[in-house]
Amino acid sequence: MPEQILDKTVFSLSEVGRSIRKTLQDRYKGSYWIRAELNKLNHYGQSGHCFPELVEKEGETVRAQMRAVLWRDDFAAINAKFLEVLKEPLNDGIKIMFLGKILFDPVYGLSLRIIDIDPSFTLGDLEKEKQKCIDTLMKEGLFEKNRKLSPPLLPQRIAVISAETSKGFADFIRILRESEPDYRFFHMLFPALLQGEQAAGSILNQLSRIKKVIHHFDLLAIIRGGGDDIGLACYNNIQLSRAVANFPIPVFTGIGHATNETVTEMVAHINAITPTKLAEVLIASFRDFDNKVRNMADHIGRLTRHQITEYDHYLLSTVNQLRSCANEKLALERSGLREPALRLKQESRFLLRENSREIKGLEGSVEQLHPDNVLKRGFSITRQNGKALKTGEKIKEGEYLETTLYDAVIRSKTITIHKTPKA
Amino acid sequence: MTEKPGYTEAFRELQHIVAEIEEGQIDVDELSEKVKRAAELIRICKEKLHNTSEDVQQILKELEESESKSSNQT
Repeated sequence: MPEQILDKTVFSLSEVGRSIRKTLQDRYKGSYWIRAELNKLNHYGQSGHCFPELVEKEGETVRAQMRAVLWRDDFAAINAKFLEVLKEPLNDGIKIMFLGKILFDPVYGLSLRIIDIDPSFTLGDLEKEKQKCIDTLMKEGLFEKNRKLSPPLLPQRIAVISAETSKGFADFIRILRESEPDYRFFHMLFPALLQGEQAAGSILNQLSRIKKVIHHFDLLAIIRGGGDDIGLACYNNIQLSRAVANFPIPVFTGIGHATNETVTEMVAHINAITPTKLAEVLIASFRDFDNKVRNMADHIGRLTRHQITEYDHYLLSTVNQLRSCANEKLALERSGLREPALRLKQESRFLLRENSREIKGLEGSVEQLHPDNVLKRGFSITRQNGKALKTGEKIKEGEYLETTLYDAVIRSKTITIHKTPKA
Repeated sequence: MTEKPGYTEAFRELQHIVAEIEEGQIDVDELSEKVKRAAELIRICKEKLHNTSEDVQQILKELEESESKSSNQT
């Protein structure tokens, strides 16, 4: 009851507290569905209770902030539902829709008691976040960047982000070892946390270390092993996804069977899903390279043999061609020679014959020209003083002439001379 | 051509030689040279499958050096 002090009605603090509690209890009788961001879960391991910090933000501005309580049994039930639906435990930084009661305690003040949380609301929100992450990377032109890197011809030198004790890492190494001694891989482990809240930061840290010695590696493998697929939401983290998309060498992921492919896996060069499969992909690349080299070696052998046979044939046919060509030419030349020779023979024979005939003819006419023969035909030679007369110019009357006939010489005296003029 | 190529270059050159021979425009003297070269390239490629010269200790050393350098700068 309030006291009267110096004409004033004075309440004690607990009376005020009790009054507020009563007013709130009367005013807020039931429980209400409320949405808020679970800024901090504040789970106390020992008691099992949680004292979450709830906020509502608009951009970076805090519009409301309240404390909450989540008792151990409620927490266990809600967490189980989350693991089932979201594959994620109840965690800091998620948006929730919860069934709450408004409490007021004179000692602890105002708080909201969380009775239940609907995981599908959070799931929807995470999906929205994931989609936003994809959209952002698309807009930045990074989404396909790692996927479009040309794959290494031989994925031999592998930077591995994993945990030393992870079963997945052990599987990965075992499969690679099994390919020896045919093939030889080199790997170097960069240990990191692979799931949960701190995984993204831990992996990012190793990514920046690997970048410093990037020239030693052909690819990066992110390997997480073993059983459950809880706590993979970190692979939808925008910073991690961006760093993987933007990584200078191809990134291969084998982080296990997520119900939904995470953004990190989407942007990776190859998402092999399991570590075992990842190792097999690498060995297949080796085998592929090996086969290609072998095939080329065979091919070169075959082509060369073929080529040489072809040269042989070509050579042989050239020789044959040459021979037949030469023979033909010779034959041609020979036949070409024979004709003129023949002609020469015929012509010379003909010529000879002609000549001898002509000579014979000449012989005949020469004979006929002999003076005796002329004389025989009735011609005679008239001489004066031993000289044959061709004209009658110098002959005078009374002079003696000598006429030679074929078989007689007649001495005679010139009586008259009749000159017969010649034109 | 005396310099020893890496396996990637070796592989590409090998592909090139195969294409050249396939086209069949190589004379006999050249062919024998090409085949000799191809044999060398094949050897380089095959060797790469079984060997790597990387060393974890060496990489760790480089990492430490680059990390101490960057921490000195900041």
